Amino acid sequence: MKNLNRRDFFKTTAFGVALATLGAKSAKASDKMLSEDRIGVLVDTAVCVGCRHCEWACKVAHNIPTTDLDTYSDNTVFKEYRRPEQTALTVVNEFENEKNSLLPIQVKTQCMHCERPACVSACIVGALTKEEDGSIIWNDDKCIGCRYCMVACQFQIPTYDYDRSIDPHIRKCDFCHDRRKEGQLPACVNICPNEALLFGKRSEVLRVAKNRIKRKSDVYVNHIYGEQEVGGTSWIYIASKNFDKLKMPTLVKNPAPGISESIQHGIFAYFIPPVTLYALLRTIMWVSTRHKDKNSENLSDIHKDEKGEES
Amino acid sequence: MKKILYILIPVIIICFLVITVSSSQTQLHKQENKVTVSKNQNSKISDKLTAYDVKGFTCKSCHVNEYPTKNDPGLSDCPREYMVSEYRSPKEGPDVVVINDMSDNYSGVVFSHKLHSQMSEMSGGCTGCHHYNTTGPVLNCRNCHDKNRSREDITVPDLKAAYHRQCMTCHKQWTLENGCNTQCHLQKGTNIEQVLESYKGKEHPKVNSPEKMLWETNSDKGKMVTFFHDEHNKLFRISCNTCHNQENCIKCHEKKPREDYSKPVKIQKSLEEHHSRCNNCHSGNSCTKCHSGQELSPFNHGKSTGWTLNSYHNKLECSKCHGNSVPIKKLDRNCNSCHKNFTKGKFDHKVTGIYLSEVHMELECKDCHTNGDFSKAPNCKSCHDDKSYPAQLPGTRGKK
Ligand code: SF4
Ligand code: SF4
Ligand code: SF4
Repeated sequence: MKNLNRRDFFKTTAFGVALATLGAKSAKASDKMLSEDRIGVLVDTAVCVGCRHCEWACKVAHNIPTTDLDTYSDNTVFKEYRRPEQTALTVVNEFENEKNSLLPIQVKTQCMHCERPACVSACIVGALTKEEDGSIIWNDDKCIGCRYCMVACQFQIPTYDYDRSIDPHIRKCDFCHDRRKEGQLPACVNICPNEALLFGKRSEVLRVAKNRIKRKSDVYVNHIYGEQEVGGTSWIYIASKNFDKLKMPTLVKNPAPGISESIQHGIFAYFIPPVTLYALLRTIMWVSTRHKDKNSENLSDIHKDEKGEES
Repeated sequence: MKKILYILIPVIIICFLVITVSSSQTQLHKQENKVTVSKNQNSKISDKLTAYDVKGFTCKSCHVNEYPTKNDPGLSDCPREYMVSEYRSPKEGPDVVVINDMSDNYSGVVFSHKLHSQMSEMSGGCTGCHHYNTTGPVLNCRNCHDKNRSREDITVPDLKAAYHRQCMTCHKQWTLENGCNTQCHLQKGTNIEQVLESYKGKEHPKVNSPEKMLWETNSDKGKMVTFFHDEHNKLFRISCNTCHNQENCIKCHEKKPREDYSKPVKIQKSLEEHHSRCNNCHSGNSCTKCHSGQELSPFNHGKSTGWTLNSYHNKLECSKCHGNSVPIKKLDRNCNSCHKNFTKGKFDHKVTGIYLSEVHMELECKDCHTNGDFSKAPNCKSCHDDKSYPAQLPGTRGKK
């Protein structure tokens, strides 16, 4: 925390203005904790066959109720574009393949486990943390349900259990934290028949990705999604089609935490008593839960706003 | 008292926050990452390996660089004692292959190798599946692909993925209960002998090829394009895989119901793809070779080459004159190029319809047919200043 002097203390009235200027100071703290050997997954969408076994395995590993694996063969779900939610931490979507209409492209979506996670910076109570291995996990006991992380995440990943707004749950892919503690691979990686999900050190999977593009330059577009987006992500993607056509947001190199962190740091830097903050946030929560039906629309609006601010 | 409370409450809350934040940070340092991933190590090359001693081979026995490419194979000194230069053909392959390398986890698979390999020549040959297999023995997938998904060297896919990628590229539409478990993986209690028996003698049905294809284009060089498929294939002996070498099985198998398989498939291609196939051979031809205002007529030896085939020649197989080489060899018009025995006295000139007089019979062929060009009128001038063919004849006309 910064050194405070009396003048700073009285500046609280200028809080709003100051927020903007603080934007540039981003999450350097998480940098030094990251291990050289931090993990990553390469999602090779040219190899994925869209079997959705990963969706099933993820649910089983997280005790989310699910039907039999057989039922996941039903590919009518691809008719609608889906996003991860609290009952499905990862989902697979299908996109047209212009090169061969008989072989559509499938893309698995889950938390990207950003190198500079906006969600972690946005969380005012430290419920979300970035582990040394690069994964982002959260702590239900700490979460106060403010949903700052949902707003901050550029990939619209964290989802919120609206049925439990008193005892809130944020849900997202946790990189199979528990399984990995026992020396197992993430459930989705383990089940994938084609190893479309390649697990390893981030530096290694990045190297494999580069070489796959180099060797099959006729198949892949020359872009590793997540190598640089928002400062890099642990889950990286390669594809035979431009990523904006696969509904992957076009993002800048710079990490997103700038904005969200400035809110959080601003608050502490200018000494607003946290009680006021809690009260404010509870009011926001109360207001927004009243509008929960409309929430998905609201959310995307907020996203637009935020992107606008960023650029 | 009230004032103390005002100061105390925020202080307590801040303390609480500082403690929670710092405890979550110490957690970070304690975290252990149990799935260990470390660098690959090049395996050592043994000096005594022979071509057939494949067990000790890895990719890295021969390639020192990690990602060998055609242009940069990164070859080390060859560890083999002698060179093997035999290439495999699909015909040599087994009828069925039983794959049960991972049967402790998954039920085995009976793979109808012959049915698949018969068509492989249309999609890259054996190497379409047996990639990176050099000359000599065909390697098993497990020679290069590790059984463990959690492994040190992640540069090549694991064995489960290696198998699945081979199948699923085409069989992408399979579902567990309609494909994977019914056509591929043997289910509990399956009599494997019976399955093997069922594949005995099974062959891929002969592929029906179209006689000719007609396209209507919007080219200003001529709207109609006629392509004589049979001619190229049968007459000019251009093998299927000269053009069809990157086909995908599903082009035939998913487009139409099974009962329609006997009909030729129309394959969708881009303009460039269409042209590139023709241009392999016809790059020197003008557009109008194919593009025309109307449908073209089939190949005619006289029209296309200027050499009309008459009673003798038109009974012959093309290869009799043109040999077996592909593309077909162009011949000159010198009869002696083929008819080496056409010399003075040995050639019965009557077959040409001109019965030579006794004097003319004594001459060498080239005395009249200068430069050995028999398509041109014979030259009388070297002996007779005042005579010329066909006003005067070196004999009489008669029946051919
Ligand atoms: S399990 Fe693998 S192949 Fe199947 S949908 Fe998921 S990523 Fe794709
Ligand atoms: S993708 Fe979203 S939720 Fe996941 S780490 Fe990045 S910012 Fe956080
Ligand atoms: S890593 Fe684990 S939590 Fe994340 S998508 Fe895969 S199975 Fe689900």
